[in-house]
Amino acid sequence: MKQITIISGKGGTGKTTLSSSFAKMAKDHIAVDCDVDAANLHIMLSPSIKEKNDFIGGEIAVVSDDCISCGRCEELCRFDAIRDSTGDIIIDPLKCEGCGVCREVCPADAIELKSGRQGQYFVSDTGFCPMVHARLDPGAENSGLLVARIRNIAEDIAVKENKKAIIIDGAPGIGCPVIASLNGVDFALIVTEPTLSGINDFKKAHEVTKFFDITAFACINKSDINSQNCKIIKDYCRENDLELLGEIPYDGKVPKALSRKEFIIDFPESPAGGKIINLWEIIEKKLYD
Amino acid sequence: MIISVASGKGGTGKTSVAVSLARSLEYCQFLDFDVEAPNARFFLKPEIKNEEKVSIKQPYFLQETGADFSRCAEFCHYNAVAYVKNKVVFFPELCHGCGGCLLVGPPESVREKDVLVGKVLKGKSEPGIDFLMGDLIPGSLRTISVQSRLEDYISKREKVIIDCPPGTSCTMVTAVKNSDFCILVTEPTPFGLNDLEISLEVLKNLSIHSAVIINRDGVGDSCVEDYCNKNNVKILEKIPDDIKIAKAYSNGTSIPEIYPEWKKRFLAIIDIIEKDVK
Amino acid sequence: MIVVVSSTGNEITASIDPRFGRCAYYIAYDLEKDTFKAVENTSRNATGGAGIQAAQAVADMDADAVITTNIGPNAFRVLEAAGIKVYSGTTGTVSQAIEDLKKGSLGTAKSPNVGEKFGMGQGPGRGGMN
Repeated sequence: MKQITIISGKGGTGKTTLSSSFAKMAKDHIAVDCDVDAANLHIMLSPSIKEKNDFIGGEIAVVSDDCISCGRCEELCRFDAIRDSTGDIIIDPLKCEGCGVCREVCPADAIELKSGRQGQYFVSDTGFCPMVHARLDPGAENSGLLVARIRNIAEDIAVKENKKAIIIDGAPGIGCPVIASLNGVDFALIVTEPTLSGINDFKKAHEVTKFFDITAFACINKSDINSQNCKIIKDYCRENDLELLGEIPYDGKVPKALSRKEFIIDFPESPAGGKIINLWEIIEKKLYD
Repeated sequence: MIISVASGKGGTGKTSVAVSLARSLEYCQFLDFDVEAPNARFFLKPEIKNEEKVSIKQPYFLQETGADFSRCAEFCHYNAVAYVKNKVVFFPELCHGCGGCLLVGPPESVREKDVLVGKVLKGKSEPGIDFLMGDLIPGSLRTISVQSRLEDYISKREKVIIDCPPGTSCTMVTAVKNSDFCILVTEPTPFGLNDLEISLEVLKNLSIHSAVIINRDGVGDSCVEDYCNKNNVKILEKIPDDIKIAKAYSNGTSIPEIYPEWKKRFLAIIDIIEKDVK
Repeated sequence: MIVVVSSTGNEITASIDPRFGRCAYYIAYDLEKDTFKAVENTSRNATGGAGIQAAQAVADMDADAVITTNIGPNAFRVLEAAGIKVYSGTTGTVSQAIEDLKKGSLGTAKSPNVGEKFGMGQGPGRGGMN
């Protein structure tokens, strides 16, 4: 059983377009949407939810009325989460990282660490495959933790149902949720576009895969919008031993199809549709060999 | 007045709009809070004058003293410290730098050192844009630490534009929470709409006024516009899906530089926001 | 000698759970007395560093060896520091693995199965799956 995560660094390069297409074409597999704070994969795969669970995240410090306002907690908080406001100690839940230092030093035992619901996660059926996905509550923390939770569940299902592959739609950026979506996978597919922003973030995403020792491949989406930048990407791939698996041209039919929740691969005569099918054939060999 | 530019979905045009606003204002402060993937510099092309390191303090353990470090392992909420057979096993990638080890560990046997997680860069873009950005070291998880340092520099005097990271979780919240108003940039597709709804809820919870800019208008359908009209969400502007804008973007050129008549339109957006903030 | 096996169930007839840090149970088997104890893995859904927490718990069971399929680098480091032998890449039932260990037909792990340096800010360091 092998796992592949689709990441990009920069948002909007086509991760979900690709992962939904792969989820449709693959066999004996599970799809996981690890972009938990702006989950989109379900829009394409239309899952029917079989199981729903609350996600209880990490802990946050809460101060009680026993507080004597000595200010010791404020002195020691490394995250700027504690403020003395006219004699009242206030802990900012947005900044608190639940480390427990304030609770440890409080002379009045007035601080507790409490965890609360930070989101929900779901096990669903899409008609193509089981799907594990989640929704982080707006503004919540611990997105990396939630990603780890749904990865764990997907692996449980894969073991139980003897699945051959897990296809993971990653989040943009290079932070906790992205790293949690890469943990222990066999391959990362980095999707980029030939823009200055795209190139910059592509290199960062590649650095992350190198840092965590994940085998990475690249593909260029909207490849024909800037041939100079496209060449820069190809040169980078060559110089850094990064295998470029495909180039998908800009295709105005793609956003239109996505808007109608149609798969572009169902129109193989479309330039992008054909290329995505080719791309999957290459990846399929690597995943299932 | 502090204006943040955000979007739930990535790639909708936050940076494109943020830099266009800055270029139209010509004199303002611009902060790139997307410290994991900061891109505004390719458009504003600042002359960087100053680089400031962002570090956290992480423990190291003087094991040769033979002291008992089990309290450190018990205390750590992130499992960054294990203590087995009188040996400390430390995991710097998991450590948040909370100082707990120093606090509960054997006195004199736990020390701390600075560990670099990123940097803050400051500079100037023509004609009078004060430019700041954060840059996280790939592999580090301390996005928040770099953003927090950037927060210290938000101006109270100038007009401020903040370019936010995508998403709706803690990194986006850190970027928007200091602003007086948030512009949500979205694309007219079900994906754009899905993430717009989540973003609007975040801003409502933070009590920050917001409005929408639809980017690449024409590329999808009317679902976003219909939603906004139905829910009393103001649409500030619609930027058309235009190959010239896309090509310019790919080369780091902003909209008012390609279409000078758009400078007026971006300034009009600032006017509307100013009136709302008052 | 005590050997701990990652298990899908609390009996030795159960199959080995392929993930060391995230398994359902640990079977702590005493090779001399031929008795065992099944311990539920409370690190399964830990708020971070599950593999590390699991390894610490296993070390606290006075394990001399661990049998599992996949173990990540963080858990491995902790077991290594504790001087615990790791037999990874093992599949089948718990009882079969114990028999194979007694016969001496299990290899010894030299390095973890998955990439180095996996630690996630607020997610677990854990064994992946192949």
